[in-house]
Amino acid sequence: MTPLAQVIVDGIFTGASYALMAAGLALILGVVKVVNLSHGAFFTLGAYVAYLLEARGVENFAAAVLLAAVIAFAFGVFLGKSFINPVRAHPFSVAVGSLGFAILFEQIAQMLWGPHPLSIDLGTPWATVNGITFRRWGVISFILSLGLTGGLSLLLSGPWGLPLKLIAEDEEIAGSVGMDVEKIRYLTFGAASAVAAVAGALLAPAAAIAPTMGRVPLILSLIVVIASGMENVWSLFFLAVGLGLLSNLSAYLLAPSWSYILLLAVICLLLVMRHSGLAVAAPGRDY
Amino acid sequence: MRNGRGCARQAGAPCRYPVLWYLSPMNGYLFIRLIVLFSGLAALSGSLPALAAGTSSQQAIRVGILAPLSGPFASGGSSFLQAATLAVERANAGGGVLGRRVELVVADTQGRVDVSKSEALRLISRERVFAIVGAYLSEETVGAIEAAVAARKLLVVPVAATAEITDGVKKDYPRHRYVFRVSYSIPQWAAMMSEFLIQRRVRTYAFVGASIRWNRELADALKKTLASKGIAPVYEAFYSPRNPAFEPVAVAAAAAAPDILVLGDPGKNSVVFVKRFREGGSGIPILSVGGALGDGRVAETLPLSYPLYVQAAAWKGSSEAATAYFEAFEKRYGYAPVGYSDTLPYDAVTVLLSAIRAAGRLETDAVLSALEKGGFPGVAGTYRFDSSHQADWGTAPGHLHGTVIQWEKEGARIVFPLR
Repeated sequence: MTPLAQVIVDGIFTGASYALMAAGLALILGVVKVVNLSHGAFFTLGAYVAYLLEARGVENFAAAVLLAAVIAFAFGVFLGKSFINPVRAHPFSVAVGSLGFAILFEQIAQMLWGPHPLSIDLGTPWATVNGITFRRWGVISFILSLGLTGGLSLLLSGPWGLPLKLIAEDEEIAGSVGMDVEKIRYLTFGAASAVAAVAGALLAPAAAIAPTMGRVPLILSLIVVIASGMENVWSLFFLAVGLGLLSNLSAYLLAPSWSYILLLAVICLLLVMRHSGLAVAAPGRDY
Repeated sequence: MRNGRGCARQAGAPCRYPVLWYLSPMNGYLFIRLIVLFSGLAALSGSLPALAAGTSSQQAIRVGILAPLSGPFASGGSSFLQAATLAVERANAGGGVLGRRVELVVADTQGRVDVSKSEALRLISRERVFAIVGAYLSEETVGAIEAAVAARKLLVVPVAATAEITDGVKKDYPRHRYVFRVSYSIPQWAAMMSEFLIQRRVRTYAFVGASIRWNRELADALKKTLASKGIAPVYEAFYSPRNPAFEPVAVAAAAAAPDILVLGDPGKNSVVFVKRFREGGSGIPILSVGGALGDGRVAETLPLSYPLYVQAAAWKGSSEAATAYFEAFEKRYGYAPVGYSDTLPYDAVTVLLSAIRAAGRLETDAVLSALEKGGFPGVAGTYRFDSSHQADWGTAPGHLHGTVIQWEKEGARIVFPLR
């Protein structure tokens, strides 16, 4: 095994974890048509749910995932209905408001569980093949990300996803054919928030659980969504994996500080070349 | 009968909710009543601080605490405040200082240089504190120093390590003489770390840190200190807080096969890095500068099959004072301190109060002179300051030497200095 092979495998897994968060953000951007800066807070919420369950002796990740999803969905629906929907015509207000909610959540988390980083037992890696370690958290995020992307793609190509596609395409037409546009919007917001919380709960053992832990995933997933556009979920997945590879390879071959600089440089270049993101030119538009 | 809003009242019986009854529109003259009520509340709220001042503030010695209590460095700032509170509580329980109570006035720097400077100014001009203990990060401390020296207020630095803090005292003593540093400077830190590495017979090491100023300074100082002993770094990397890319750093560090990995980041990312490093299968020992990895609650979740060493200013068992402090902290807050971002602020407050006692009066120049002359016992040992107002940490006999612990399944074991 060469270290480079390990870096490539880890890069793919890292990219998959970007896609996990980005899928929810893209869904909100596509259907609700707002930039949601509170997405990272739901990731943090999921991680705290996993920690609190483990601290009470419930070492069952299915329970953590389910509870995190339910709580985040409820919060997401509340936020979507009470704040996002009424002000969504003012994009700046939504961005500032959702950022405010994220900061408020961080403060509440700090008051409830303290500012100190908390941790969950990491467990052992799942497998080592020819000297390449398949990290547990990496395999989990890859499978989950792949499943989520496939599921979303399937949903959007079938009759169940028709309302989402129609609302994304033209809200007025969707409303005129009797769809409850407002309801679909806040339910979408809730579902996307639940996905972020599930990611947080599943990846909590690999992280240091702290009130501000959602900031880095939020920024990286925003980068992915901006670069990919939100029309095609598979484009988003592959771009996320590509950026994960770029990030890891540049950190390994150059220096860690280059990983962020190169990531941003590539995104800028992509946006200069294709103003609306890569996926716009792709033939299969999901929504 | 219902008498106004929410006030069920039997004829002749007293109302259960007098305020609601008083405000009830059924009672007439509501407007006048409201004016009377608000005037009363306003008078009461205005007089409360005055009453409090009469009992405590007038006599109290006010000490400003400048710490990041929100934002990404809130963890360290919170430990800082907890320890400072404990030090003041213990001082007050022992009769106070010069017969007066000690009172903390807390300011949140948010980890930002501009806020640190403006909050330092507020503590000095509006809160009229006698001295300030803070700030936390090197950059924000430099900002606070500007405000403190301009107002000729004592500033005791509890954690920040950059050379700039004591360089000011060296270069411009008349202006900067108000600044004292309790924590170890970068060269002192590197010297203590080197001593441990030499004791472990290390020949090569890897340095991994956060991309922040003092981490790079520490890496350089360690390199210089160890060069004379023929010990060299085989890998050096500083991850960005915005996209840490832990995995490739962990892979590259393990591939370089050093005898030990020195982890310079005291924050939460150090926990994640250790997880990645061990998850990748590397058994190379790790030496952390302390902070998040000194937390027993975190350490018990990490793989400890291979050595994880953590540097600290003091640890339970390293001295009687340290044991007493650790036990008091645990009793007060429900978990053990980390021996660094709490212990040093505790000692900073303790040293300041001891210097006020030694001076015998609450005058800046007298306390400054006492700090320059005296030796003040703290948790980590007895603090003496050199001509640049730097506490004498180091490896020579009689100096404050700090400690290194190794985490094991049963808890922490002190491995340095050897006893």
